[in-house]
Formats: sequence, C-alpha cells, structure tokens
Amino acid sequence: MGTISLLTIVLLVLMVTVGGRQGWSAFWSLLLNFCCLFFAIVLVSWGLSPLWITLLAGTLILAQTIWLGVSDGFVAGRAFLSSMVVFLVLLGLIILVEHAAKVPGFGVEDTDALEGMSLAIGVPYAQVAVMVAGLCSLGAIAEAAISVAAGMATLLDEKVSTGKTSLFHAGLQIGRQIIGTALNTLFFGFFGGFLALFIWFAGLGYSFLTVVNDKVFVSEITIVLVSFVGVLLAVPVTAWLISWNEHPRQ
Amino acid sequence: MKLKGHQWWLWLIIMLLVGGGLFLFTKHDAWLYSRPVAVVTQVETTSRQRQRDQFKNTDYLVDQRLKVRLLNTRYRGQTLVVRNHYTVSETMSLHYRRGNQVFLSQLQAKKGRLSAMISGLKRDVVMVMLVWLVVVMLVLMMGNAGLRALASLVANTALFILVINLDLKWQGRGVLLLFSLLAVAFTVISLLLIMGPTRKMLAAFLATVVATTIAVTLSWLLIVLTHERGLYFESMMYVTQVQRPLFIAETLLGSLGAVMDVSSDIVATLFEVKRLHPTATRHQLFAAGRRVGQQVMGPLTNVLMLIFAAEMLTSSVLFLRNGNSWGYTFSMTMSLGITQSLVCGIGIILAIPLTSWLMAALIGKGGRLNGHN
Repeated sequence: MGTISLLTIVLLVLMVTVGGRQGWSAFWSLLLNFCCLFFAIVLVSWGLSPLWITLLAGTLILAQTIWLGVSDGFVAGRAFLSSMVVFLVLLGLIILVEHAAKVPGFGVEDTDALEGMSLAIGVPYAQVAVMVAGLCSLGAIAEAAISVAAGMATLLDEKVSTGKTSLFHAGLQIGRQIIGTALNTLFFGFFGGFLALFIWFAGLGYSFLTVVNDKVFVSEITIVLVSFVGVLLAVPVTAWLISWNEHPRQ
Repeated sequence: MKLKGHQWWLWLIIMLLVGGGLFLFTKHDAWLYSRPVAVVTQVETTSRQRQRDQFKNTDYLVDQRLKVRLLNTRYRGQTLVVRNHYTVSETMSLHYRRGNQVFLSQLQAKKGRLSAMISGLKRDVVMVMLVWLVVVMLVLMMGNAGLRALASLVANTALFILVINLDLKWQGRGVLLLFSLLAVAFTVISLLLIMGPTRKMLAAFLATVVATTIAVTLSWLLIVLTHERGLYFESMMYVTQVQRPLFIAETLLGSLGAVMDVSSDIVATLFEVKRLHPTATRHQLFAAGRRVGQQVMGPLTNVLMLIFAAEMLTSSVLFLRNGNSWGYTFSMTMSLGITQSLVCGIGIILAIPLTSWLMAALIGKGGRLNGHN
C-alpha cells in the first residue's frame, strides 16, 4: 500500500473514532476540498482563466468546509456569508498587492528544479499567483468566521446580551480570544513548509535587504500576511453580520 | 488596554501618519542598498514573437527597451538604457512598467556611456506597507490581544532565525534535535503570551507536545513501514541539507500551530465549564472536551491542507503543461505536501482526546481546582 493511502486511512479511523458523525463529515470536507483544488489546477492547465477558477473553487471550498464542518445551520449560514464577503474583499487586496509586488511564477532559487522544462507555457502566472494566495487563505477565513459565529450563537441562545452594539462588541471579544491561536496556526503552517528555503537563504548569506526583495520570499510572505488580514477581517465582519440581522433563535 | 472613542481615533491618525512616512521612506531608500537601484522612466517594446513549444503551448516572447534613471551609486541621476526579455506568461521573467524601481547588475561606464543588466524588481515598499497594514489592523481591532499576538510572532521569528543559524553552524547535524527543541520553545512562548503563566497554559503545553510527538513518530513509522512508496523526497524544493530529517522538522513545525490551537480551545472551554458547574465529573469534562474538538477538527484540518496543497499549485500547472500525466504531477509536486497535511491532521485529532483526558484528570471531580487560574 502507498504511504499516502495508509496515512489517509489512519486519519479517517482517528477522525471517526474521536469525532463520530462529525468526524466523518470533516473527513469528507477534507477530501472534497482536495479534489476541488486538484481540479482547479487541471482546469487552469487546460487554459481557463485562473481568476474565475479561483472564485469558483473558493466558493466551493468555503461551502464544503463550513457546511460539512458545522452542524448548526444558523452558524453555518452566517459563517458562510461572512467568509464570502471577506474572501471577495481579500481577492481585491491580493490583486493589488500582486500587481505591486510582481511575484508570479518561479524565482532564481527554483532554477534547478525547473531544468529541462518549457517555461513558455502560455498560462498567465500573474493570475496564478493571485489564485495561490486566495486559496491558501480560505481555510483560515472559514475557521475564524465559524469560531465567532458559533460563540455568538451561544450568546444568543443564552439571551445574555441585549441590543445590537453590545452583541457586536461581544463578537469582537470572542474574536480577541481566538486571534492569537489563529495567527499561530497560519504562522507555523507556513514557516514549517518553508524551513528549507530559509536555511537556503541563511546558508548562502543573503543579506536582509536581499531577502526582503527576493521573489520567492516575497511571494511566500505575501501569502502569510494576506491570510492574516483575512482572519482579522473575518472577526468584525461576522460579528457585524450577526448583530445587524439579529433574530431571536427558536 | 481597550481603545475607546477619541483614543481610538488618535491611534488611527497616528498609524496613518506612520504609514505615510513609511511609504515615503521606502520609496526613497535607494541609498540603503549597495546594489545599483534605478527607476524605469520610459518603456518601449521592440519586438514580440509568437512561440510554440513541443507541447503545443503558445506564448509570446517580448523584448523591452527600458530607459532607467539611477537612484544611487556615484552615477546617481544619470540615465541609461537596459534591455529586458519576458514571456507573456511571466513564469520566470517579468514585464516591467514605467515607475517600477529595479535592481541593476554589472553596471559599468565605458567612454562615458553607462551599461547594465536588469536583475530584479525592488519589492520593499509593498512588503513594508503590507506589514504595516497587518500591524494597524491587529492593534486597532484587537487591542491588547493584538499586541500580544504581535509580540508572539516577533519573538518566534527572532528565535527561528537564531536556530537556523545554529543549524548551519552545525552543518545540518542534529537537525531533528535542534528543531524539536525549537518546537518546544515555540510552544512555550506562544502559549505564555496567549494565556499567561497559568495552569491552563501548562495543560495546553503538555497536550501539544505529547500530541505532536506521537503524531510525527507514528507517521514516520508508517512511512518507513510502507517503504516510502509514492513519496519522492528528491522532489523537495530548496533543499541544501539531508532531506528526510528536514522533512520531519518541517512537518513538526507545520503542525505545531494547529495542535496548539485545538488544545488551547479545549483547555479554555473546560475551565469555563468547571467554573460554571463546579461539580462536573471527569467523565462529563472529557465529553465536553470532545465536543469542542469535534467542532474545530474539520475547519482546522482544512486550514493546513489548503496551506500545504495550494503552495504546490505553481509547479503543478507547469508540470501539467509540460505534457506530464496527472499521476506523475501529483507524485512529483504534491505527494510530500499532502503527506505533511495528513500528519498534521493526525496530530490535531490526537490532541483532542489527549487534552480532554489531561484536563479531566487535572480539574475533574476528585482533582484539585482553586479558583479559575
């Protein structure tokens, strides 16, 4: 058996054992999201516009993550709505940043890996860079939105708060509690993945100013920072959305 | 610190002023660089050729003639002409526009005429402005919690740089030991800044360390048992040291944040449960912990999967366009990332019963709990 199949089975068994039915649907969301990502890649390689594919795949991935991950319909609905808003705003920011930073495709550090490949492939890599940053940030946006929505739903259930402003502030307060760990998840996720690159930089004695202008580094750090912005936006947007349209829950 | 009313506006104005200052400074910081920096003042496209490769990909090869004005070195203020070639797909090359600041190499003066090659774009302005945006949002929206998160990121980055330099000094020997210690230090710093030195923090710390250790060890055992079938360590990118230990170290660090996230969520909730229902039994606490875990496991495993898999997008598209099959593309560009996200997933799931059990034992009925520290 292949290593990946075995690890997948182990993960499935653990998820079902620990999570029961919710674990089962969490596993499906993981699998479906990966399929989505894979087919997004295939479609781009067939020549479809990466920007449109990003919108399509992004919406699907958000829907799958949220509706399969959350059992409460109210929480899922609000979390999905606010993540969509944040995703669209973030895409605007990403396009702006990628336009200014110009980090499409590969850098000099990739030269070895690309040996023998044709690079004139006719795919707009400036848009592919937007796609990478957009899709990377989705998970973090969804997670933050779900946490805030779930916390506020609990407050609504307990009828603790009255009035829109105080409910909005309660949402922000919940956001303050999760922001530290949410940022850590992203920070370590990215820095773990790029340990080798950082060792490369240090080993070849890149100066600080060289690193700050390096194509590969800038493209990575842009993704991290943009995802941070996504999480930070998700908190007030979710809190506002729920307090603005507050209905007593049955 | 909770920013209120006029105080908030004051901070916003200060931050905007600082942002404007930073922007102007980085726009005019060419004197900081020893490499020649120039600004593109005029762009002229000299030729545009259709190109077709053996996989029937069509692209255009464009030649640009750029007039640039030097911003530093002793030729500052002088203009010269440089050439640039790019493909419209911009896989490796760049399309420069008027106003771009660029780096030059091999700058020399022959008979009063300057010549140089273009070697890259200056990107520090965007970087600084993006960091500024994140800091402003953290401080203005999150107040004190934002400042603590910022402190944690800064401290961890500093430590990370230090350890990488140590690793190079030891020439990659003991990578695993070094980065395991780093992981422990990361956990302590992050949790201390989020929770402070409390028993909550201790419980989250223990759970994180144990869950991550078990997940990584177990996964490595499985990888060895299956003889690494389907994994291609030679496809790891940017590798300058022995691949396998580096891969484990990467996975270890990558999963740390998410595992910490689950366990601190569970710890915080269980302390709250105990405060509201002081008579909660160990069994009830364990069940409550599991419920929290069930809620976060889906979104959290997806966060890491998306980070690890979307990173591979750039090279996957290139592989597919170069006539490779789906299977080969998957193996060469995605298999390692997927493996990493599976290991992280296992760590996240293991952390749920571990943290719940640990907390139940620590504060459940029969255990000791004084107040709610």
